[in-house]
Order: sequence, then C-alpha cells, then structure tokens
Amino acid sequence: MVLFKKSIVFLLALSIFFSLTGCNKNALSTRENEYLIKVIVKKSNHDFWTVVKMGTEAAGKEFNVTIDFDGPTDEEDIDGQIRMVEAAIDNKVDALILAASDFLRLVPSVKRAKQANIPVIIIDSTIDSDIMDSFIGTDNVDGGNKLGESLVSVVGSSCNIVVVNFVKGAASAKEREVGLLSFLNNYPDVKILETVYCNSDEVLATQFAKSLIIKYPQLDAFVCLNAYATVGVARGVEEQSKIGEISIIGFDSIPEEISYLEKNVIQSLVVQNPFSMGYLGVKYAIAALNNEPVPKVIKTAFKEINKENMYLPENQQLVFPFVE
Amino acid sequence: MKKDKVKLVKKVYKGSRRTFKIGSLQSIITLSFTSITLLAMIFIGIAFYSTFSENAEKNAASSMQQIMNQATINLENYLHSMIEITNLIQNKISTTSLGNLEEIDDILSLTLEIREDIVSVSIYTNNGNLLLTTPKYQFDNSYVVTQQNWFLKSLKNPSAYIFQPPHVQRHFEDKRPWVISLNRGITTDVSNIQQHFITNVDMNFSVIEQLCSDVVLGQRGYIYIVDSSGNIIYHPQQQLIYAGLKKENIEETLKKEPGSYLDTYQGEKRITTVMNIEYANWTMVGISFLDEIIQNRRNLNALIFIILLFGIVFIVIASIFISFKISQPIKRLENQMNKVERGDFNIDNLEIKGEDEVKQLTKAFNLMIVRIKQLMSQIISEQEAKRKSEIKALQAQINPHFLYNTLDSIIWMNENKKYDGVSEMTAALAKLFRISLSKGNETISICDEIEHARSYLIIQKIRYKNKFDYKINLPNNICQYKTVKLIIQPIIENAIYHGINKIQETGHIIINVVKEDAFIKFEISDNGYGITKENIEKIMNKESTSHYSSGVGLKNVNERIKLSYGNEYGIKIDSEFEVGTTVSIKVPLVTE
Repeated sequence: MVLFKKSIVFLLALSIFFSLTGCNKNALSTRENEYLIKVIVKKSNHDFWTVVKMGTEAAGKEFNVTIDFDGPTDEEDIDGQIRMVEAAIDNKVDALILAASDFLRLVPSVKRAKQANIPVIIIDSTIDSDIMDSFIGTDNVDGGNKLGESLVSVVGSSCNIVVVNFVKGAASAKEREVGLLSFLNNYPDVKILETVYCNSDEVLATQFAKSLIIKYPQLDAFVCLNAYATVGVARGVEEQSKIGEISIIGFDSIPEEISYLEKNVIQSLVVQNPFSMGYLGVKYAIAALNNEPVPKVIKTAFKEINKENMYLPENQQLVFPFVE
Repeated sequence: MKKDKVKLVKKVYKGSRRTFKIGSLQSIITLSFTSITLLAMIFIGIAFYSTFSENAEKNAASSMQQIMNQATINLENYLHSMIEITNLIQNKISTTSLGNLEEIDDILSLTLEIREDIVSVSIYTNNGNLLLTTPKYQFDNSYVVTQQNWFLKSLKNPSAYIFQPPHVQRHFEDKRPWVISLNRGITTDVSNIQQHFITNVDMNFSVIEQLCSDVVLGQRGYIYIVDSSGNIIYHPQQQLIYAGLKKENIEETLKKEPGSYLDTYQGEKRITTVMNIEYANWTMVGISFLDEIIQNRRNLNALIFIILLFGIVFIVIASIFISFKISQPIKRLENQMNKVERGDFNIDNLEIKGEDEVKQLTKAFNLMIVRIKQLMSQIISEQEAKRKSEIKALQAQINPHFLYNTLDSIIWMNENKKYDGVSEMTAALAKLFRISLSKGNETISICDEIEHARSYLIIQKIRYKNKFDYKINLPNNICQYKTVKLIIQPIIENAIYHGINKIQETGHIIINVVKEDAFIKFEISDNGYGITKENIEKIMNKESTSHYSSGVGLKNVNERIKLSYGNEYGIKIDSEFEVGTTVSIKVPLVTE
C-alpha cells in the first residue's frame, strides 16, 4: 500500500510538471524572435536624424525589435561610418539600416554585409550599387525639382541665385542639384551665379553666405540643398541684415529653420518625411528578415512649407515632429 | 516484409491479449473505471469550454467596456481638474473685478509648479490683448490671437469649455510644444461694464498618455481618443498616424452610438468599443483584435486538451494499477491453477495474503492441491506395487515342462553314463536358476543375462542332440550395464520351438549384442521356419498361457521392457518365411 501511495503521488507530480512546462512554453513563445536592427545614419546628433530615429523606434516598438541607433558625430567622417558598418557586420546584427555618407565608399561594406546574409536597407542617401534589399528615401531629383519650383514661385522666373550644396560626392547632394538644374533649364532667366559646397557645416555655410552677399550685390536668392546649408545661410543673411531682400529656399525642417521661416528669413522649405524613412526602414528590414517581398525602391514624399501653410493641421505634424 | 509486419502485429496483439485479456477482472475494472472517469472529465471539459468560449466575444466586449469605463472616469477627472483651473480664474476675476491680477498670477504659478502636465496658462481680453500668462515667456508678436479659430470660437460661446486637439502651440517665441488646449470665455463685470476674457490652458500629453497607455486590451489591443470632428487626441501610434503611415476608421466610428461592435478594418476582425468622454465631447475608442480572442480560445482548447490528455493517461495508469492490485492475487491463483491444469502439481503452497475473499480462496486452493497431491502419490504407489507384483508374477512363470524335460534328460544321460553331459547340463541348469532368481532383483547385468541365455542354449542343445548350434557375440565393457532380466531366453525358446524344430537341416542361432550411444540392442537371429506377418501380430498379442510355450512369451518380454523403460524400447521382429527370423530387443543404456 505504501508503494501504491508513492506511485500515485509520483504520477500526480509528473502530470503537474508536464502541464506546467507546457504552459510555460506557450507563455514564452511570444517573445522568442526579437531581432536586433542596427541603424547607422550620417550624423548621430542632428534633428533630421533624430526624427529618423523616432521613426525607427516607433517601428521597433510596433514590431517588437531592438533598434540600435548610431552614426558618426561628423557627417564628413566617412571612415567612421564605414567602421561602424563593419563593426555591425562583425557583431552579426540581424539587419542593417544605413544612410550612406558616401555614394561610392560604402559599397564594399554593404556588399560584405550582404555576403554575411544581413539584409541592408538604405535610407535617405543611396550607394553606387543595387545590392541592398531596398532604398527608402525621397527621390532627390524630385527634391531638386521642388526647390526650383519653390524658387520660381517665391522669387519669380527671373532672378540671380547661388546654390549652396553640402558634400561633394554624396549621392543626395548630386541628385538634388541635378533635379534643381533640370527644373531651372525651363527658366532661362534664372541665373546661377555660383555653386558652393559647405560640407554640411553650418559655420562654413554662414561664411559662404556672408562673402557671397558681398560678392554678388545683384543676388536675389540662395537655394540651399540641405538643412545645414539652409541654417548656415539663414544666419549669414540675418547677420548681413538682408532679411526679405535675399530670399532663402531651403531644405528640411529642423527647428532652427522653422524659427527662421517664422522670422521671414527663410521663405520656403522643401520638407522630407524623415519619420517615415526611419519607420519604413525598420518595417522593410523585418520584411526582408522574414523573407517577404520588399520593394526595391520606396519613395517618401516632399512637401513645400512656407510661413502661410506651416501651421495647417496637415503640415504642423511634419514641421514639428511630434514627440510623445 | 509485409509478412513480418503482420507477424509482429499478431505477436503484439497476442501478447497484449495475454496480459490484458478482454473479459478479465483487471480489464473490466480498468475499462469501467477509465470510461466512467473519462466521461466525467469530458463532460466537465465541455462544460468548461462552453462557458468560457461561447461567450468569449461578449466577455471580451464587456471586459473591454469595464476597463475603458475606468479609463474614461480617470480621463474625465483629469479634464475636470483642467476645467477647475478655468473656474478658479473665473472666480478670481469676477470676485476681484480684475483688481488683483497678481494674486491670480501667484495661484497659477504655484499650480504650474505642482502640475507638470500644464504647459502654460494665458488670459486674453476679448480684443486679443494678453492679460496674463504663466510662465512668463516672451510672447510671439507674430501670433495674432484674434485671427485664430479657437479664439473666435470661444468668443462665440463664452461659457463653453472648448478643448482643442493636439497642435503646436505658438504663443511664445522659440517655444513650439505640442499641446492640447482648453479654452473658455469668462464674462465679468468690471466697473459695471460687462467684459469678456478668454482663458487658454495648455496641457501636454503626459497625463492623457499615461491614462490611456495603462489600458491593456489583450496583446495588441489599444484605445485611442478622437474629438467630435475626428481629430486624434491620443493614439498609441500617434506619430505613425501623423506621418500618414497608419490610419483609423475614425469617421465610421464616430457615427456609432456608445457600445461595442464587431467590425473589419484593414482585413482584421476587431471588436470596437466606443465611449463618450464628458466635458470635452471626445470619444474613446477601444480596439481589440478578434484573432487574439480566438487565439485565447485556442489556448483554452489546448489547455483543456492537455488537461484531458494528462487526465486520461493518469486515469488509465491509475486504473491499471488499481485493477492490477485487486486482481493480482486472483491472477496468481489463476496461474497456479493453470499449472495444475497442465498436470504440474509440483507447486508450493501459496502465500495466504490479500483481501479476505482471496485469502479464503487461496486457503481452499492450497488444501485442494495438498489433497490432490496425496491422492496422486497414493495412486502412484499403488500402481507401482501392482506393476511390481505383476512383473514378479511373470518372471516366476518358468515352464515346469522345461524343468521336467531337462531333469529327464539329465537322468537319461546319467543312465547312459554320459556324465560329461550330465555335469554340463546340471551346471547350466543351476546357473539358469541362479541368474533367474538373482536375489529377487528385477534387473541384472547384461553379462548375466547373456549367461542366462547361454545356459539355456547349453541345456537345449544337449536336449535336442545338436540339432542346432549357436554363437554369441558379446562386446567388451558391457557388463556394467543392466537390463530387465529374462528377456533373451524367451526369444531363444521361441526360435527353437517354432523355428528350428520345424526344419530338417541344422539350425543356427546367433546372438549379437550391439552397444549404441544411448541404448543396447540384442539381436537374436535364427535360420528357422520363419513367421508370417499375421503370426508376428498374433505372437505379440498372444497370452502366455499356451501349454507348450516356456511361459514367458514375446508379448510379456515386450510389455516388461516397456513398463520398465518406456514405449520407445521393446521388441521388433523381422522374419522371412522359410529363411529365418531376427528378433531385436532394444533396452536403454543404464547402469542400474
């Protein structure tokens, strides 16, 4: 009878153990495959990329993946970015989202990542290859077009302008310029006095602006191809007290630009949607990880923002990133 | 392959039948126990399942409503606290008639210090002049209040509480926070002239977000808040909505009365619960995904299934165990009985244990076995005695005629002074009797048996005046083996009387003793008259009562051998008419 009781106790214990382990399995299954997605942008501490980061984080939260956001402190630090990509490959991240600092020099690293079977989504600025799974960004040629369109509507079809580009060699810089020039081809009275490269340095852009204002008294407008150029030029124009006299057509919508827009220093901004870029980057990285079809190119939209429309409900969300 | 499989299946089936016979006590107990418990479990499982799953959607909806109700109450309390601030301003303004703006300012500053969720409070006159603002930021002069929608709205409905959806606040220079605003018109008498003021309370999302994100509706479910014109007040993925990456069917939802609805949006079935929020004319919308409820139901199913499975396994094992416990003593008895049935009484007394009934049975069985054993051994010993006496009787039947004739021959030889013959015959006769008596032993050595035959042959040869000769081939090393006595002599007797006696020429009798691995064969051959097949049959069955036989017939020899050694031993007769007869006697190779 002792044996009998013992065996019953044993059986009970056994069945409880099995049912418990069974339940645990069910409970754990929801958090099993958590991917680590590395996001490497051109510059870590900058408003535009902060919004990209917000987008990646929103997607990370939604799809339950870990986002590791990184980028060199200086946009010019291409070697630094290459090192970051290489380190990410060595650390065997699940997927890589990259905003390439250089059109050519990031290609080998991206190839290496693909060889290591890491899905790569390029955002904002692409590379000279189509090896990546997807490119998500604004069509920079369209962006250039939009700048031209904005210039003509603000200043008119007859004017003298200076183009302030950012980094020589960066794909987005090149494409925006191509878009601008192709648009302005239709307006022969728009004269480009000079094209300068500020190397994404606001201080340099300010210096350029000041000297160019002096150099070209006939100057009607600056067309700036990214946020640094725009802010730098705006500072220069403000310092030279040429507000309203010399128009600024800028790119992106960081807070300083917005404040200049409100102050009438900047007349028009061509705004991208960095939040969408970050969000879609993560979304399609996960799709690539799950072997789902990913579109090769995804274009995010541009919008022209000026003082009049910036506070419209549909625009204020784009201009002032919503921080939860 | 197939055959092997079939064989295997059969084997397993047979094996299982052997251990688990249908109709056995154990199987009956197991089956009935299992089926009753199983039925009960299935019944409970079904009842459990139906209560939990049939109303799963209703339950989900009602629990959603409960959760959201709480959230609504919390939110309303929060909004009410905002309204209280405007009430406070109204009271202060109307009681002091704008006489003490500093006091209001102090109160507001204090409030803002305590309440981190309030971004700023401003009071404007009805013509758009800033009367008071806390905190003291630089007012943005490019912001023309009188052109703003909210200002105009509040002017129109001076006593209404108007909540603005999330927007970028631009009252102050370099401050562009996202806020939700409460506007309220205040009317008061200042120096007997009615004056209108508009208050603006800006709050950030922190409290609303916290209140709403606390609401958990399953794993993916969430709530969001919209105002009456469909602007999103709160959404867990507000950024995505603003970025146009996510959409909600707000318009449709706003048309609905408060309550819960099943709907399908973007290919997903959901339970949408709509609730009104007082004060602000907002609507709280709860979204819960049906597949989660279905998943829950599936999990429940799986759980019930697992419980049932374990229950069944447990019950089957337990009932097999219990039934084994009950039926094992009976089975033990049964096994022993089976042995007895097969004729094996060589079993020990069973241990008397188990339940009372079984004990009783065991006792009775043991008694029965003991009694049967007693009876059997009695029968065996009786049979033995009978057989022995029979053999003795048979052996004792030495034909008296033979003795008379032999003695006659001796007397005759003596009278004719053939003394050699007398002594030879007398010696032979003496040996014959000595060996045949052999101290009453049933068995004698092979050599003695042969000596016995030889003595008989010597006597007969003299009596028949050398009508035959004989030869005995005895191999060495055979004397240690024994045999039932007086088995060869009757054969020789037959050979002489029925074989050689009937022919004209000289007879030959040859006795061969052949030792094989497991037996000894005596071959007694003669060249006599021969026996027909029918006669062989007759001889083997003939009773030994014939007056001219030597008493111990072939049949008796055969029977004695078989009685002593078993059926595989005995006599075999090969005969050909007018050629001769060979009688083979087979006995085992034994030393006692």
